[in-house]
Amino acid sequence: MKTVLQVILDKIKVKNSKHYEKLVAHLDGYGDSYETLANSFFNKYNQYLENNQKTIDFGIDCYLKMIDDMLEQRFKFIREGKYANSSFDDVEKRIYGNSEIMTYHMHGLVLAQFLWFDQYERILFFIQNIGKFAKNGKKYLEIGGGHGLYMNEAVNLLIDIEKFDLVDISESSLELAKGIIDSKKVNYFLKNIFDFREDETYDFITMGEVLEHVEEPLSLLNKINQLLNVDGVCYITTPINAPMIDHIYLFHNENEIREMLNEAGFTIIEERIVISEKITEKQAAKFKVPVMYAAFIKKQ
Amino acid sequence: MERNKILKDINTIFIDVLDNEDIVLTEETKASDVDGWDSLTHIQLVVDFENHFGIRFTTMEIQGWKNVGDIVDSISSK
Repeated sequence: MKTVLQVILDKIKVKNSKHYEKLVAHLDGYGDSYETLANSFFNKYNQYLENNQKTIDFGIDCYLKMIDDMLEQRFKFIREGKYANSSFDDVEKRIYGNSEIMTYHMHGLVLAQFLWFDQYERILFFIQNIGKFAKNGKKYLEIGGGHGLYMNEAVNLLIDIEKFDLVDISESSLELAKGIIDSKKVNYFLKNIFDFREDETYDFITMGEVLEHVEEPLSLLNKINQLLNVDGVCYITTPINAPMIDHIYLFHNENEIREMLNEAGFTIIEERIVISEKITEKQAAKFKVPVMYAAFIKKQ
Repeated sequence: MERNKILKDINTIFIDVLDNEDIVLTEETKASDVDGWDSLTHIQLVVDFENHFGIRFTTMEIQGWKNVGDIVDSISSK
């Protein structure tokens, strides 16, 4: 019997063979541990779809629609040297406020978590190190929990944590996260992070792929600094040169991210940088290819 | 603009983008004939054609190209 991952890839092969070839070439060599983790997540996602009277074909169609959007955004980006959006209010109206676009974009991103090797590297880096950096913590926060993948791993790996909070600005993302995370220990908050808790701090904070969605990422990092305990650790990820329909803030290279982290009062403990194509750093810079930046950071 | 001149200019852009002095295009040249001409470099090539010739392609046009001759057709029709 085929795994969900195989089903997804086979269906993409039929609908967009060129994209399928690229995915398969990029994922070549990751082996059993990749397939186990991918299928564990996709099984949960498939169940969520079934609970909502949908099939995996729905997720695949959403993903391919998102890929089309990305190509259009990439042309704009290469032509103009900037992301198409510069205002959060504008993105909120056109994307987050449009349930059709928001739905396919969100479901597209769910599949990307394991179809894109750089996204797999992002969760792998998290899983490999979270135990080490959160070992003495009691309170855990995720900002922008989206599809629930990271919170689900955290809940399973960090058995000593007493309190897991997940805050997200999107109701549909929170619903999806609730469907993926198989734990009663998680508290969900539908809130803008800037309006979230002034009175509490956390031992560990995860914030993946959020900085690029705001106009002033430095303010967001300052907010994290407020929410993080003195000896706490934060896992933060954000892409470089990655035009998407809802991305606002453009990081041109990893040094810009490092400088901003430093300006917000953080020190980088460990980082991982993955180019989203199998090319050299020089080529990635020349063609402005998306790069995944991830780091564990602490207060200076 | 004459087709030969367009082809020559396109060839120069290919050499620059793909960083390969040996590229010699004909109207029959396809992506599979040129090392490094893939979906990634294609976007940069298209935008460089647009900037060089002062034109803008539609997504439909770009998706319809099968070989260099089709690109020359698109440019000469602008």
